[in-house]
Amino acid sequence: MSKYIVHLRYYPGDPLEEIRQADLDRIAEDHGVEIAFEKIDRREMVDGKLREETLDRPLEEISQDIITLQSDDEQSLRRTIAAIYDRYRSPRTPYGFWGSSPEGARLAKAVTDETGGGW
Amino acid sequence: MKILGLLGSYRKNGNSDILAKEALMGAEEAGAEVELLRLTDHRIEPCQGFGLCLFRKEGCHIKDDVKFIWSKIGEADGILLSGPCYFLEATAVIKQLIDRAWVLAHRGTFRGKYASVMITYGTRGWTSLAMLQPNIFFGILGFKVIHREAIHTQGLGEVVHENESLQKARRIGLELARAVQNQDPTYRSTPGLCPICQDWNIRVLKDRKNVECPTCGVRGRLTVRDGVIDVEFDQRALAEYRFDPEVCYNHFTYHIKPSRDYFMRTKDERKALVQRYKNYLKAEE
Repeated sequence: MSKYIVHLRYYPGDPLEEIRQADLDRIAEDHGVEIAFEKIDRREMVDGKLREETLDRPLEEISQDIITLQSDDEQSLRRTIAAIYDRYRSPRTPYGFWGSSPEGARLAKAVTDETGGGW
Repeated sequence: MKILGLLGSYRKNGNSDILAKEALMGAEEAGAEVELLRLTDHRIEPCQGFGLCLFRKEGCHIKDDVKFIWSKIGEADGILLSGPCYFLEATAVIKQLIDRAWVLAHRGTFRGKYASVMITYGTRGWTSLAMLQPNIFFGILGFKVIHREAIHTQGLGEVVHENESLQKARRIGLELARAVQNQDPTYRSTPGLCPICQDWNIRVLKDRKNVECPTCGVRGRLTVRDGVIDVEFDQRALAEYRFDPEVCYNHFTYHIKPSRDYFMRTKDERKALVQRYKNYLKAEE
């Protein structure tokens, strides 16, 4: 198991552009960090608009894009997170790193503060 | 058709008061029924950050005059906001109301109504954030703002010497009423840099590559052509500005509602950690 595990949770409207596996693969290749991607979409079309009830639902189960990074090397991981923020910006919420290892969450937050998280 | 004057000034017969009345006379000329409400005549308690108001049908639990103010805004088709800028910004009573508007922002209660803004100021160069609160206020409430004017005048009632300012106020009221009548949201004041809120303030992001309108959250790139500074705003960002109804929906649905699950799951851990602070420097109650 890697020292650092980081989950970046992006909810609808959060990323600056659509998160695509191919783009993440390129970032992973550039920085030598393992990146996995999962997309959860539970929204339903109601009167032409995408809607979802999220109150009292586990925050892992609502619609979101989850980027998961694993590494033992802090510097590589920092650069990878910065590259992801540069493209998509950082997660928006205090629970945007939920499920990360404590070290991973600390690092992701530190990079957010250093870079401004792309706003 | 009704136009409500909202006064963000304490001073009776002051410049904001006079300009609001002049504008309402203009609205009357266009056939509007008019009313004036001075915010400082009413009790507006600070938001207590309970958050439950967002989930409860009955909304905010605080018993003060804010519900009355919302009812008055609800009755009106157009709002004319008039107030002074003392220190760079509009007055605190407007900000107080903004915080209390949290619950309405996600409900779209007043979305589609019209507004105009007049801010009086005494010293040139001391008004850089004067439109911030009016823009936030009408942004979160989903109003279509058709005028934003800063009017230069200083001492109590001195604006009566400024015929051009009085005429401007009258025209603002008249055009606001006509905009409501014709359902025409065309912006009438001089356009600003941000095409959404028409303000001139731009924030440089920490990446030193992008800038944004701090009010609307719209990103772009700074450009200089022939010595003229401009911003090329990102088209997607413009479509998804902060107060867009779908953006507000996503904010409420994904940034606020799930916070309850997070809050509950971290409750036990927090209960132990917070003990350290509970009795430290306890403020008198």
